Amino acid sequence: MMEYEVEERSNTLIIRLTGDIDLQTSPNVRQGLMGSIDKGRPIIVDLSGVDYIDSSGVASLVESLQTMRKKGKQFILVSVSEKAMRVFQLARLDKVFTICSDLDEGLKIVKGE
Amino acid sequence: MSQIDDSVSSEAQGALDFLAEMGQEFSSTPDLDKTLLKAVHLIAEYVKAEAGALFLLDKNQKYLDCVASVGPVQITGLRLNADHGIVGNSVQQNSGYIVKDVEADPTFNKAVDDKTGYKTRSILCAPMGVKDERVGAIELINKRGDTGLFSDDDLNLLQVLATSAALAILNARMAEQLVEQERLRRELELAAEIQRSLLPNISPEDFPVHGMNLPARVVSGDFYDYYQLDDGRIAFTLGDVSGKGMNAALLMAKTASLLRCLGKAILEPGALLARVNEEVCETVTRGMFVTLVQGIYDPERGYVRFANAGHEPPLVLTSKGEFFTIPAESPPLGISPSLIGDENFPEQEIHLDGGALYIFSDGVTEGYLAMGDELGAEGFKSLVKKTEKKGVFSLLSILKAKILEGDRPLRDDVTLLVVDDNISVKSKRFERGFVEAGPTVSLGEKLMTIRIAARPDRLRLVRRSVEETSKFIGFGKNDVSDIVLAVDEACQNIIRHAYKANEDGEISIEIRKRDSAMIILLRDYAEAIDVSKVKPRDLNDIKPGGLGTHLIREVMDDVNFLSPPFDGGNLLRMVKMIG
Repeated sequence: MMEYEVEERSNTLIIRLTGDIDLQTSPNVRQGLMGSIDKGRPIIVDLSGVDYIDSSGVASLVESLQTMRKKGKQFILVSVSEKAMRVFQLARLDKVFTICSDLDEGLKIVKGE
Repeated sequence: MSQIDDSVSSEAQGALDFLAEMGQEFSSTPDLDKTLLKAVHLIAEYVKAEAGALFLLDKNQKYLDCVASVGPVQITGLRLNADHGIVGNSVQQNSGYIVKDVEADPTFNKAVDDKTGYKTRSILCAPMGVKDERVGAIELINKRGDTGLFSDDDLNLLQVLATSAALAILNARMAEQLVEQERLRRELELAAEIQRSLLPNISPEDFPVHGMNLPARVVSGDFYDYYQLDDGRIAFTLGDVSGKGMNAALLMAKTASLLRCLGKAILEPGALLARVNEEVCETVTRGMFVTLVQGIYDPERGYVRFANAGHEPPLVLTSKGEFFTIPAESPPLGISPSLIGDENFPEQEIHLDGGALYIFSDGVTEGYLAMGDELGAEGFKSLVKKTEKKGVFSLLSILKAKILEGDRPLRDDVTLLVVDDNISVKSKRFERGFVEAGPTVSLGEKLMTIRIAARPDRLRLVRRSVEETSKFIGFGKNDVSDIVLAVDEACQNIIRHAYKANEDGEISIEIRKRDSAMIILLRDYAEAIDVSKVKPRDLNDIKPGGLGTHLIREVMDDVNFLSPPFDGGNLLRMVKMIG
């Protein structure tokens, strides 16, 4: 139900999540994110395939963001759907995360353009 | 002389030993018939008779039945007329009888001998009785030895033995009766225990509904009950079965069970009473009937809706301190199903608005006080007034003390049920949060209900159900997403915090539309959680915990934990306004 893909491009890990992130799937998402974080590269999470995210999914992303900040690495969310964006707004986290409209924009930020 | 004294005392000692042995026999064996046989055997041995028989008077004292016999011929089971013959005369005249030599007695009836082929030569018979109470007689036949004839000494001895046998038999019978009485008493106790278990547990003082039942006898014909419905409202009942004692208690148990069972499915008091009436009419016997009030109280809004089947008019004390009563509008249950026809029983609705409703059996107002006066309706009202400020527990305990004060036994079961809206107004348990428009306890239309395993892999199914229901009600795209999120988060809280991830639990979800509100009720069956610890997180502190609760409060117009249902668990109500 939940797909987790990792692609490496210009020294950046691009993680594509597809499906609902809920109490059932968020443990896998968290595990995947933590694994990717260990690689020590900037991370872009593409949420275009995520129609639904709940508090446990948001919590996994928050935890990743905090870990990445400590490492001084960038952690960017891109292509956030309207529904998912609503949840970030409700959680007042829309200003905490770096959120870009699409992947290209995210990559530009990573490159410092 | 000294020699004679010695012989007398040794003979007396022998008789005493014998009596002691027989007494022992009687007190140690529960089987009276066996004991009697042993007694006849011992007596015949002691008097040195060839044969012996013990006769007992039957219940009507018309016949003497041989219940034990020893000797060459068995006559156990033989029945003699109690008013003639040697045994009959002995019993009638309460005196010993001796036929030293049958050959010389023309009155001797040879019929038995002819039948048995046994040659009777000499007969002893002594009545068994204590004071005026006749029990029966012991007959001995033929002295062992050459002559085979009894002497007057033998008769004296038998008379002593027969008297003590009579005492022993009476004792044994009394013991039997005591055992039987004890058994009946124990059965009644057990019945009362089961009956008490039909009454609800004592609820905490800040719960708005309380009751009391004092049975006049061991078991009661009255009952009361209350329990919380899944939507937070409280159903209550008070009934009085005509009569007292076991038959009333059994009908009470039946009616109470029917109400408890059907009351969870039929949420309209009038319809519920109609249904219970049909059942009671089908089986009720000998003109018994049940007067009953059944209703539903909405603690959040202070409304009570009830139906009254021929019961004493409930009493209302308004928040301004005024009393009024509401008379019954229909006959008792069990009179006739056709009295009401297919119609439901009429319902009445009142807004307690901080006041209280008192429903009671006539045992309350007709209860005797210490001086022998009845408490009466006015007496009850003044008790209510006096304890108004001190709370329901105070009323219940003072009423109990007043009615039990005199030495008189209760003349009728005393039963009282109180619905105190004032508690709801004050209690944190029943915060009067969100109140929709309209003076009706109606719950609106039930659109969706599911009961589902409390597991993460069921949440998707929950979301789809809630999504479709929200769309059906007419919410816009964004609201639908919000509602779905809120229900999902609430379910997560149940899974993670109430059930602590134990996947055996279940969640019930019910969605209703009432006026312009969508009402979502979430119920779990876990241990009650501490509501005060359910707090939205501080948004500056970005940690996972509490985020879900924050999201729920963000998107819903009203979120309330209702008081925990009686059978445990938690009940969360969320309201989303339409438009």
